[in-house]
Amino acid sequence: MTLRRAIFAACIASLPLLAAGPAAAQGTIRIGMTAADIPLTHGQPDQGFEGNRFTGIPLYDALTHWDLSAADKPSTVIPGLATEWAVDEADKTRWVFRLRPGVTFHDGSPFNADAVVWNVRKVLDREAPHYDPRQVGLTATRMPALRRAEKVDELTVALFTSEPDSLLPINLTNLFMASPTQWEKLRAAAPNAEAAWNAFAANPAGTGPFRLVRFVPRERVEMVRNENYWGEKAKAERIVLLPIPEANARTAALLSGQVDWIEAPAPDAVPQLRARNMVITQNLQPHVWPWQPCFVQGSPLADVRVRRALNLAIDREGLKQLLGGFMVAPVGTVAPGHPWWGNPGFQIRTDKAEARRLLAEAGYGPNRRLALKVQISASGSGQMQPLPMNEFLQQDLKEVGIDVEFDVVDWNTLFTNWRQGCTAPSARGAHATNVSFAAMDPFFAMVRFWDSRMAPPTSNNWGFFDDPKFDAMIREARNTFDPAARDAALARLHAAGVDEALFIWIAHDVAPRAMAPRIRGFVQPQSWFVDLRLPYVQ
Amino acid sequence: MILYLLRRVLYAIPIALAVGFVCFMLVQIAPGDPINAIVPPDAPADVVEQVKKDYGLDKPLPAQFGLWLYKVVQGDLGRSLATGRPVWSDLSTAIGNTLMLAFCASTLGFLLGCILGGLAGTFRGSVLDRGAVGLAVAGVSVPHYWLGMVMVVIFSVQLNWLPAMGAGPGGSSDWAWDWDHVKHLVLPMVTLSVIPMGIVTRTVRGLVAEIMNQEFITALRGKGMTRGAIFLHVVKNAAPNALAVMGLQLGYLMGGSILVETVFSWPGTGLLLNSAIFQRDLPVLQGTILVLAMFFVALNLIVDLMQTALDPRIKRA
Amino acid sequence: MSTATTPSAAEAELAVQARQAQAKSDGYWAGVWKRVRRDPVTILCASILLLMLLAIVFAPLLAPHDPYQGSMIRRLRAIGTPNYPLGTDELGRDILTRLLYGGRLSWFMGITPVVFAFIIGTTLGVTAGYVGGKVNMAIMRVTDVFYAFPSVLLAVAISGALGAGIFNAILALTLVFIPQIIRVAESVTQGVRSLDFVDAARASGASGFTIVRVHVLGNVLGPIFVYATSLISVCMIIASGLSFLGLGTKPPEPEWGLMLNTLRTAIYVQPWVAVLPGACIFVTSICFNLLADGLRQAMDVKG
Repeated sequence: MTLRRAIFAACIASLPLLAAGPAAAQGTIRIGMTAADIPLTHGQPDQGFEGNRFTGIPLYDALTHWDLSAADKPSTVIPGLATEWAVDEADKTRWVFRLRPGVTFHDGSPFNADAVVWNVRKVLDREAPHYDPRQVGLTATRMPALRRAEKVDELTVALFTSEPDSLLPINLTNLFMASPTQWEKLRAAAPNAEAAWNAFAANPAGTGPFRLVRFVPRERVEMVRNENYWGEKAKAERIVLLPIPEANARTAALLSGQVDWIEAPAPDAVPQLRARNMVITQNLQPHVWPWQPCFVQGSPLADVRVRRALNLAIDREGLKQLLGGFMVAPVGTVAPGHPWWGNPGFQIRTDKAEARRLLAEAGYGPNRRLALKVQISASGSGQMQPLPMNEFLQQDLKEVGIDVEFDVVDWNTLFTNWRQGCTAPSARGAHATNVSFAAMDPFFAMVRFWDSRMAPPTSNNWGFFDDPKFDAMIREARNTFDPAARDAALARLHAAGVDEALFIWIAHDVAPRAMAPRIRGFVQPQSWFVDLRLPYVQ
Repeated sequence: MILYLLRRVLYAIPIALAVGFVCFMLVQIAPGDPINAIVPPDAPADVVEQVKKDYGLDKPLPAQFGLWLYKVVQGDLGRSLATGRPVWSDLSTAIGNTLMLAFCASTLGFLLGCILGGLAGTFRGSVLDRGAVGLAVAGVSVPHYWLGMVMVVIFSVQLNWLPAMGAGPGGSSDWAWDWDHVKHLVLPMVTLSVIPMGIVTRTVRGLVAEIMNQEFITALRGKGMTRGAIFLHVVKNAAPNALAVMGLQLGYLMGGSILVETVFSWPGTGLLLNSAIFQRDLPVLQGTILVLAMFFVALNLIVDLMQTALDPRIKRA
Repeated sequence: MSTATTPSAAEAELAVQARQAQAKSDGYWAGVWKRVRRDPVTILCASILLLMLLAIVFAPLLAPHDPYQGSMIRRLRAIGTPNYPLGTDELGRDILTRLLYGGRLSWFMGITPVVFAFIIGTTLGVTAGYVGGKVNMAIMRVTDVFYAFPSVLLAVAISGALGAGIFNAILALTLVFIPQIIRVAESVTQGVRSLDFVDAARASGASGFTIVRVHVLGNVLGPIFVYATSLISVCMIIASGLSFLGLGTKPPEPEWGLMLNTLRTAIYVQPWVAVLPGACIFVTSICFNLLADGLRQAMDVKG
């Protein structure tokens, strides 16, 4: 760099030049993500489900997939790299998966039963040479029952669970299949397995509809269409992913034409985006933004009347206004019409008079205001806009005689504390925690919160909810292998959970995104994920 | 003078060591167990034990520092908790980007400051002087993160002249000095340059005024020396100090660009630090601070040495 | 970010001032006041700051609304809305009210670290300068280490490691400014120490403590104070910057840096409302800077 060039730069700074960049290469879609960094690309992405959305599903396949093709029905599990599966009638902990024939990884090596066994071992077998402890945390918690895999023949594998678990096929959408051949090749040049995985992240091979061609840490990832994809091929030639954590920077990037598509635009910027002809998409997401109560003795939320009162006191319409319309008011963890809905008796709505009555019944009133402490974060994946939303709730609840105090911690801390429970010092006496969660999988939606065995440190029953009735319902659901009967069992569980007001259900996210009008073909399903094969540039 | 230079260089070594110690302590003062700076909180217990042993966390603090220093000297700054990549791999690209931004900004600030300060010093008391001084004060008083925000609103969103974020169409890795890339540099550079502009204006104004008031200039003027010759003389006398200020400013900007990089998503050390803070990625935080501080120590040393070499009036024992 | 002048230049200047100050007569402060009075810029800045101080101290009396109570139906109103002269924020809270209350924390976080640093830095700096020898060596070498960090970097590093919070931010900022004040205090004290009247006092058998109290402090406090004043501007910018990054104040407390941060999303709807908190920081900071300049000039007898 020379002085002259710097002077040149300084001079042109003052010139009103039009900054329209060169037209993006035909068929290239540039996406601004909310993550601060590129999610891991080695097959088990981090950064929450945004990672699965952008560096999981496009680059890799799992044995089972989410159906992301339609916007108007709940997304369900469909065949992926496995074409069919069934539990062994004799041994309910053994599942048999038939694999899709003729599938190859991006490096040309074949996908087969050995590859499945290898990928299960990468996170579950400590003795395996390619075992990667860093991938365990991101994977094992998402399929808690899976133990090991066994090859039956070239295109058949058997998977074993620790106990009968009908939810396994749903869990398996999270286990992405990486190429063993590619890894072995990179391992030969690397000093150890960890280094080999780092090399694999920079040069990965999956079976997905896109393959990675360029990886610049913290700045960008470029993927091109996989011309040999086994299923319907992608329409766009190239996808570029850019991490832009700051909502305003994302909005500005879209407005100035630096990207074609942004995740989660700032709600207040939406009118401006619309005025510039950007397309705003949204759809109901299997997502819950709750306050999760602490049920231990001494917590005011141990009283079901107080929990119900809170559910009734919140003005969700006002909150929706705050979010520029980008939320759905929840009436439970899943919405009416969902297979797990189950018609609960307690109707979640706004009824401040009833809320006051319930509070009075529980012994609270003008002379004895209810003081609540809630642990919240300032940001985070799926947390929507935690600060303004919680401040709104604080004002809202003041009206019915509840004084809310917040303990603001950073997102990772809140998330870590979630596994330690409301009695741990890390909770700092909070009566509720504000961790949003994904609800497409019954384990994540209900089991881990309402099963007494899921109390910390095992899983996320943060409030130590303990009711034998619920434990029995959960056991029943996991032991029912007929999908319809299983859904009915889950529906009973959900209805009971709503009746007991086991959460303060506050919002469902609708995953707003904004895109330039030249992006066509995009479908926003009722899911955290999208099918990047569908959109293209006109 | 040679002796002074040698001593100055030697003195930088304990300073560098102590700076390293402060960076080491950053992790110690952070709430929670320092082990959390090495393994993720959900790591299995036996992994934690193994790592504790590997990193000598079971040993007393001085021994830990020694071990840490030993690794750092070998270029091992540890691994990012968030990505698992070595800290240095991300840091090295980020440093380059920050250096480029800080260098351009301090150069721009230096040039503007010299012009404004020179004019102000020459015509002391005039309207020009007041204007320059006003700009200088504004430059050092403005919260630059706010200035950056305002610039984005005006130049990116309203006028759509310049991009709002990033380091170019292909990211920083294929940076080139063409308009497609340079236009990404303009807003952060101008935003960041107001501070050195203000400081250099003040310094140069003072220097020029002082030199112009000296008797020999008055005498030279009396002898009918041309304006050009006087100007040269002033430049020669003011240059060492002005350059020293500029050098230090480069260091300050490298450390201080965190806010501006955040506003513009410029892929430098500031953005890296920001995300490290929010992910509580202590190895990245520690490594970035360490490298930036070391850079500042080195810069201080170079500025000092250059100043001594350039300015014959400075005589140090 | 950095101080208004380079350390070495500032020190040299202040040392000169100290030497001149020792020659002061009873009329010295009267002279300073006279010079300040003749300087319209300093008077203007002092008046603005005084007004702001009064406004934030009496915020509960002046503020038209509750700083925490908002309403979704009147969020993000423009400047000039009846009842909400400066508009409303993203939660429908009155901006004027929040700016008044926010000034309290912003001022507090801008001034407290400098006050602490002034007390601690002066104590250490004067000790180092007066005692000399090994004590000087010890204090100054430690100072050098902290001086080796750019201010913003050190503040971000400490509060980043400690975690968000007002207390941590103030602690970090205090640590940033102590070394700067020590350096100035030490060099000014050394200047005074070598002067004849200190020698005379020592020869007359006065104790070290008395000498420091009567002769040294009386002469060095002024210059150090002026220097500290110039730090307030920097401190305020960094403190608000920390809040802007999410490292300082936590919501829903009103504070200018944090308000600027949360209002960023409104920049497309109400850009002028969104930039107001930043303008407040700017005005305060520039006034403190000019005031410090004015004081410096007024106290410089040569001026």
